[in-house]
Amino acid sequence: MSKKLYLVLTIVVALSMLLTACGAKATPTSQPPAAEKVTLRVLVHQNPPMVAFMEEFNKKFQEKYPNITVDMAVVNANELSTVTQTRLTANDVDVVDMFGFANGAQPYMKQVDPPNWQQLIDAGLLMDLTGQPFLKNYDASAIQDAGTYNGKVYEINLGRVSYSGIYYNKDLFTANNVKVPTTWTELVTACETFKTAGIPCMTAGGKDGWPIFVGAYGLLGSIYPDQAALVEGLWTGSIKWNDANSLVMWERMQVYARDMMEEGASGIAGDAAPGRFASGAVAMFPGGTWYGPAIDAAQPAFKWGYIPFPGSDNADDNKYLFGKYDQGWVVAAKTPNKDAALLYLTEFSDPANYQAFVDAVGFIPTQPTAKLSTGIGAEVAPYLANFRVGYEQYWIAPKGAGQFANPWATYFKPFGTDDDPKTLADKVQGDLQAGLNAVK
Amino acid sequence: MSAITSPKTSTNRRINWGRVLSYAVLILLAVIYLGPLLMLFNTSLKTMPSFMKDATSFATELNFKNFVDAWTKANFPKYILNSLLYTVSATAIYILTAIFVAFPIARGYIKHSGVVLTMFVIALFLPPALIPQFQLILHLGLYNNPIGYIMLFLVNPIGIVILVNYIKTLPKELDEAAALDGCGYFRFVWSVVIPLSKPAIATVVVLHAIGIWNEIIAPTIYLTNKDYYPITRGLIVFQGVYGSNWPTLAAAVLMLTFPMLILFIFLQRYIISGLTQGSVKG
Amino acid sequence: MNYHFGRGWTRWSPYLLLLPGILFYFVIALGPSLATTVYSFTDATGIKGATVNWVGLANYKEFLLMGQASKDNLSALGRTLVFCFFVTTIQFGLGLLVAMIVNQNLKGRNFFRTLYFMPIILGAVIQGLVWSLFLYPLGGPMAKFLALFGARSEFLGGPPFVAFAWVIAIQIWANMGTTMIIFLAGLQTIPSELYEAARIDGANPWQVFSNVTWPLLTPSVNTNLTLNIIGSLQAWQLFLILIGYRNGTQVLGYLIYATGFGQTSGSVTSSFRQGYAASASIILFLLVLVLGMTTNYILQRREARIME
Repeated sequence: MSKKLYLVLTIVVALSMLLTACGAKATPTSQPPAAEKVTLRVLVHQNPPMVAFMEEFNKKFQEKYPNITVDMAVVNANELSTVTQTRLTANDVDVVDMFGFANGAQPYMKQVDPPNWQQLIDAGLLMDLTGQPFLKNYDASAIQDAGTYNGKVYEINLGRVSYSGIYYNKDLFTANNVKVPTTWTELVTACETFKTAGIPCMTAGGKDGWPIFVGAYGLLGSIYPDQAALVEGLWTGSIKWNDANSLVMWERMQVYARDMMEEGASGIAGDAAPGRFASGAVAMFPGGTWYGPAIDAAQPAFKWGYIPFPGSDNADDNKYLFGKYDQGWVVAAKTPNKDAALLYLTEFSDPANYQAFVDAVGFIPTQPTAKLSTGIGAEVAPYLANFRVGYEQYWIAPKGAGQFANPWATYFKPFGTDDDPKTLADKVQGDLQAGLNAVK
Repeated sequence: MSAITSPKTSTNRRINWGRVLSYAVLILLAVIYLGPLLMLFNTSLKTMPSFMKDATSFATELNFKNFVDAWTKANFPKYILNSLLYTVSATAIYILTAIFVAFPIARGYIKHSGVVLTMFVIALFLPPALIPQFQLILHLGLYNNPIGYIMLFLVNPIGIVILVNYIKTLPKELDEAAALDGCGYFRFVWSVVIPLSKPAIATVVVLHAIGIWNEIIAPTIYLTNKDYYPITRGLIVFQGVYGSNWPTLAAAVLMLTFPMLILFIFLQRYIISGLTQGSVKG
Repeated sequence: MNYHFGRGWTRWSPYLLLLPGILFYFVIALGPSLATTVYSFTDATGIKGATVNWVGLANYKEFLLMGQASKDNLSALGRTLVFCFFVTTIQFGLGLLVAMIVNQNLKGRNFFRTLYFMPIILGAVIQGLVWSLFLYPLGGPMAKFLALFGARSEFLGGPPFVAFAWVIAIQIWANMGTTMIIFLAGLQTIPSELYEAARIDGANPWQVFSNVTWPLLTPSVNTNLTLNIIGSLQAWQLFLILIGYRNGTQVLGYLIYATGFGQTSGSVTSSFRQGYAASASIILFLLVLVLGMTTNYILQRREARIME
């Protein structure tokens, strides 16, 4: 028996030896910074082209300011807010990448909690950037909409994305003699033409849910072009999800989900959708401007265009692109490296550097002098004057609202279980009303 | 079914139906297990454009470059040492403390052992406490410190439950006999209980080590110094808000899996320590 | 039970050696969880420097009683129980069967054991990825297989109950390996003499199983049932990765996660609501506590009866 007795013992000894061996190697002695040297701690979310640009930028920045070392950490986007919170608490960060301020609590909203950026500012954790010279490089509207709270500026926003457009396959449109649709009726006809020819009309990453309802933003936007007013109307009761206007939207959403989307779209993952479109099998692909590079990567020779989703029969209502402010910079209020942090933002905001950033990342720029020179940039350029912030950036659901209280095309079959626009409209309004009643 | 319940059936009948049935079940399950797993392997050999075009088609290009990319871009050589350090030390400390918790509970050698066991069973489903735990580590001055990180993995009630239930099956007469021979408590646990509990210990070690090895949220929150990153933290380079680089990620994951696979294959021998285990009862 | 290892001060050695394990348990697990309990009665955000107010039961009322959302929460609770029932029973039965098979002296058993354990080594994100690929509806392997019979399905993107059923199946696929190895370890404790004795008595395979294997496996049965019930009640990761937040499929564990990240409301930016999230997780804790402890109590009584 004694042989067996010591087998486990041997393992434990072996493990602890490994441990000490590794301990000696892996416990590093971090470089002791010299007296006047500064380590600037930067936190960004993972977006490969942006991170690649930042690494390049940091290198140049350190060359220009040899006393500053940039220590940039990358985290996944859905962990960004948690890590921002913990690192600010630990006073372990100087410059943080934060998505554009959205979903601010409005006076007409009852019993809502302020969004996380507002909570951070109220707790005194973000630095007031008002009056910093580099702010002048940006669109006043971007500073105001995505970085200002109570009259003070806390964030410079670095770019916008739009999600209410449709990618279309130029070759298939030409081959089938279909004109690029500018109204809802034309879109319906186009889809019928393609389907008759045996070509699926639209694809999207239906498995993830949101690409379907985000794709239908044009339907929402053409009926309610002022999305801030829509949110206020829903809260105050002047707009209802089951009134006559909304009913038109639901009917069209059903057509979109049931007839326009290809069979099987509800099982495609969000990641896979641009590839599916680039394969050339499908005529259209409603989706965000960020998919452009992915389509090109999958099929470089593929010819595509991008138009706002024509949700209305009045072509004039279809000229808007809806979207959101993406990432931006904030500075920790308690940073011991304030000068270095401001220097970092100044350097980043330099028009040449900013242009390089936009080229790398593909955002719609927030500096008036910058140009979006990519393929998607050329496509969205004609509509940029009509860029509008989308509903989900304003909307805060009243506490107690049900899970159907949103204008989502995914409620319809085959993505959901609903089949009748009127019944669904009543259910959606009912779920919203339950919340509004609860917070009265 | 006969072969299932009685391992040593070796009759001279021409066809052993129990055996045939066993293999049928194994192979059917193997297909269900292999199919999806092969998708991972297939993905790891594809180029990004080919993956974007058709994610599920066979990889024809055998793009081994993904493995090279994964190795360098995720900083494997450096971070894997950290991962080993955390996994090995936390698992070793944990398993030692766990045995000394489980044994007296299983034997009733401490007062209220039932209550203590219940406490650990409750710990199986305690509510998650991300922020309080973070504040604790921060106030202990162990934030951004490998010791603080290792501390997070010193509790695992699953292991206690497995060990207690296993030790209960060891004959109590052993204790008596050992004590009569003048064997002390510590020496008895160390040199009798631990060797006899090999299957359970191996099981717990595997489960606990894999948990630490694959952990991704904790290092993101607790270790902000790059010198301390475990390898899972390095894999973030292949992910992205607008779509991930799945082929390289798949290659990285296959490499990441390797040490744990070896560990499992190695410890398997102790989980299945031979079919003559009954003899130790003598 | 009688303690044999000396009296006087040496009687304290079990306590002394127990101390580190208990200490870790109190400091790392229990302490922070108790803090969560306190949080659940406040409007804490978890942000340094923010004010914290005592709100009594307001968070609990919001989760359980407020508007339509509370009704949705309760239907998620029902769904959680359905999920738990199917996952526990199937994973338990399959794990036992497979453990008994690979415990035999079969060729390639090491390979099969390792294969069935692979998903655990890979972790949830990769489990999700491989199944998303395997179930890709446009030309993926499973779609091609169904096409042989002229059938088609959207699998994870199909009607809610289809997607839900797939998550059940994948959850079992992912975790059966753990059940298997715990049973395997348990099977090692059954002396082979007992099998021989049973055979000499002329017992048929079923009698061998029900009179020898099953009763002597009681400790592993307890371990596995407890772990399976608790694990399935708390499950959320595969839901997140495989189907996302979809009406008609949410279970409580995922609901709590999604609430914490603001995925439920249609806003892009959520607020830090540590207090509310804490109350939701305490409710799940209480549910698991009741179910888990009841099961545990029944199992312990059964064990005491059998082991007599």
